[in-house]
Amino acid sequence: MNKKKTATPKKRSKSLSHDHTHSEGRCMDLFRQLSAYIDDELPADICEEIRRHLGACPNCEVFIASFMQTVTLCRHRSAPELTSVDRMKMRRAILTAANAR
Amino acid sequence: MRASASKKPPQHPVRQELEGFDRLYRDHVDLIYRYAHRLCGETESAKDLVQETFLNAYQGLKDFRGEAKVSTWLYTIASRACIRMRRKRKGEPEHELSIEEFVPTSEGEFRLQIPMGGLSPEEAFQNKELREALDQAIDKLPRKYRMALVLRDMEGLSAKEVGTIMGVNERAVKSRLHRARLFVRRELSARGITEHDNQRSGGLRS
Repeated sequence: MNKKKTATPKKRSKSLSHDHTHSEGRCMDLFRQLSAYIDDELPADICEEIRRHLGACPNCEVFIASFMQTVTLCRHRSAPELTSVDRMKMRRAILTAANAR
Repeated sequence: MRASASKKPPQHPVRQELEGFDRLYRDHVDLIYRYAHRLCGETESAKDLVQETFLNAYQGLKDFRGEAKVSTWLYTIASRACIRMRRKRKGEPEHELSIEEFVPTSEGEFRLQIPMGGLSPEEAFQNKELREALDQAIDKLPRKYRMALVLRDMEGLSAKEVGTIMGVNERAVKSRLHRARLFVRRELSARGITEHDNQRSGGLRS
């Protein structure tokens, strides 16, 4: 990757090989604030700045899409349920252990 | 006589305690099992954790003063029990995650994608490879990051509640959650999961 950092990210082209490094500047700021951004915890002016950056930085745009997909998947991952037999067996085991202590 | 007939006879304290426990168990066992399964990643350990949680709750029920929600109290007991149980089993060292380790170093790395291709999460989860990859990624997370992710993103609690349960401030919760999400995103995207499993199981729409 080219280490050169452009001073005006708004004017960047949408080409995939645009000049920036993800560990510096705006990209890094965004990287640190991604969760706060998607959880709606940032002030409106910062959100606007982020949206402008995303519009100008295809790599960050793609990164945030996969980050949001990750969170969406976590939020929708179901967990198995107990059967009524398991519930009963466990209750019995808990009370037996409680009486033994 | 008339006055005593209108009142219920006082219950034996042990019976009262048992009824209180039964109500607690009936109303919360499914919630705590789901949490335990997400933390432990498998059924038997999850059942052990549920039993340990409710055993502790049974013994602490008379001291519970209702300052927190009952569910928060149970989540806290379960979280502490999980820490004790895992420590006993694995001697698992706590491993810190730093933001820097997730910074993509090449264009290809941060353009890696998760194969959802416009699918809803439910449709995407018909891909067994994706389900397994997500479960394994969560299981690989160091414990304190896994707890923050499970409580916040999977159990849907607020950062404040998660802080109460984990005994840390909201800022620490948000920091752990962010690192956990970055970790899972990297694990999922680096697996190179294909979409063909979705197509086989009817998960993809034309």
